[in-house]
Amino acid sequence: MNIYLPIAEMSESVLVLLGMGAAVGFISGLFGVGGGFLITPLLIFTGVPSAVAVGTSTAQLVASSVSGAIAQYNRKNVDIKLGVVLVGGGLLGTVIGVEIVRILRQAGQFDVFIALCYVLFLGVIGMLMLIESVQAVWKTRAGQQPSVRRPGEHSWLHGLPFKMRFNRSKLYISAVPPFLIGAFVGFLAAIMGVGGGFVMVPALIYLLRVPTNVVVGTSLFQTVFVAAAATILHAGTIASVDIVLAAVLMFGGVVGAQFGASAGSQLKGEQLRLLLAAIVLLVCLRLGWDLVVTPKELYTLAQSAGGA
Amino acid sequence: MRRARFIRLALVAALASAMTLPLLYEPAAVAQTLPKAKRIKPGLATGQPPPAPGPAERIEADVSTRTIAITSGYSGAEILVFGTIENSRQPSAESGFYDVVVVVEGAPEPLMVRKKGRVAGLWVNSKTFNFNAVPSYYAVASTRPLEEFADVAALEENGIGLDAVRMAASAGSAVRVSSEDLIAYKDAVSRLKQAARLFQRDDYGVIFTGRSLFRATIALPATVPVGPLTARVYLFKDGKLLSRFQSRVVLEREGIERWLYAFALDRPFLYGIVTVLLALTTGVVASAVFRRRGA
Repeated sequence: MNIYLPIAEMSESVLVLLGMGAAVGFISGLFGVGGGFLITPLLIFTGVPSAVAVGTSTAQLVASSVSGAIAQYNRKNVDIKLGVVLVGGGLLGTVIGVEIVRILRQAGQFDVFIALCYVLFLGVIGMLMLIESVQAVWKTRAGQQPSVRRPGEHSWLHGLPFKMRFNRSKLYISAVPPFLIGAFVGFLAAIMGVGGGFVMVPALIYLLRVPTNVVVGTSLFQTVFVAAAATILHAGTIASVDIVLAAVLMFGGVVGAQFGASAGSQLKGEQLRLLLAAIVLLVCLRLGWDLVVTPKELYTLAQSAGGA
Repeated sequence: MRRARFIRLALVAALASAMTLPLLYEPAAVAQTLPKAKRIKPGLATGQPPPAPGPAERIEADVSTRTIAITSGYSGAEILVFGTIENSRQPSAESGFYDVVVVVEGAPEPLMVRKKGRVAGLWVNSKTFNFNAVPSYYAVASTRPLEEFADVAALEENGIGLDAVRMAASAGSAVRVSSEDLIAYKDAVSRLKQAARLFQRDDYGVIFTGRSLFRATIALPATVPVGPLTARVYLFKDGKLLSRFQSRVVLEREGIERWLYAFALDRPFLYGIVTVLLALTTGVVASAVFRRRGA
């Protein structure tokens, strides 16, 4: 059974799209990640224009992050004040990101740019996670407790102006670093269609020393607002959000996520991270392959009037 | 422990299916009900002994569907082009006395061709070439291969055949490249459009079903851009063009697809907000539903 996607201007099987949404939802529920880093490349492999893949993926992100954010909020795991600073930066980053997408799309370099971004980010993040989780698994094997949180120490970050007190995080730090982190993550959301949790979470833990229990909730809080802003801007400036495609993916995604989450509670944290690292590196290799290997067809067609 | 192993297996399966799903994509069979071909006046199709050389042959034709609606279930369409040769002197449908060519062509539109080149070990788009007008779609069907019955000049003049598709290079692009490169770009357009089934030829696609009746079915893939199409029919005899006929087909978005498309382009920000609201609702409703079931 096929469905016609009005913005992507193509016809695709509903079952394939639902399956994609469910598989990515399952993985995102399992690992507690947004899944945007899988949805965008999968859509591109299916033949959806890159810009539409990114724009639609941001809409799917809203759906997949909002339920998690609400659950975390109910458990009082969201530092609203920190979240607002992050969102403020995120909005700025999103505006810049969407503008860059528009410019690159006109220049015809968006496809290559997004592939490069994915290879770079997924490669770095995947390697870091792989190393970290292998070490953690090793340590647990050796009978030691893996330690993540180190005692807070004063660094140059504490010398910056605009100091604010973040009560729930028990921090008294400058608002500049969270604003910049938020901006960077917002930028990633706009150009890659990812929630950026894989950047936000380590940055909050290692750079700002935010307690781990509020990190995930606060990151999800930021994702909801930034993804919403990115969706509206993508739709508003380059008409790259396909609502039909988004609806099908969301439906598959939220269902898959529920099963993923219950499956995730059965696995150990280190094993989960090792598995996630493997998935991230696989996607990275698949995208990198297309950039390096000599293509069978050197030419591509595009509509001249600003099309993808 | 066993539970955990099961989950690990399920995970690998889920991942594998996520990676291969796009490969399972199959272009769905075209299923569009067509109104039956109009009945032609019986006198023309049957009976009548071949008349002595006299009145000239004329071709008359029509298409089965004048308007094709693109709705949410749209996965391409098939149009039937049919017609008749007035004053046919053909003894039977199989005689091969006449040759008929059917051309269905989309509106000319600007097109950009990009060529990849190696930059620092990576394949990136390094060159672009602009065409001012290339038909969005071009299908040609004939009673036998074009080269067998018509000379190149006649085909070229009438824009018949994939080699004769009119592609107008933009002035700015044309002066920058050599004639070999221009040919390479045109070949690339033709090759890529054929791969996408947007350019197609069917050497035996026109069939005579009587002394003067003929028909051809033309497949429109779902990717054919929305807009008007022209259907042209040519009648050849011994390589000479005897008669031609032209008609129009319109591809239109309809129903919810039309509404959504217009919404996305006319009120883009509102469209974005609606999408976000839809996403928020989906997320909240799903978590509420599953929490109740889980509790």
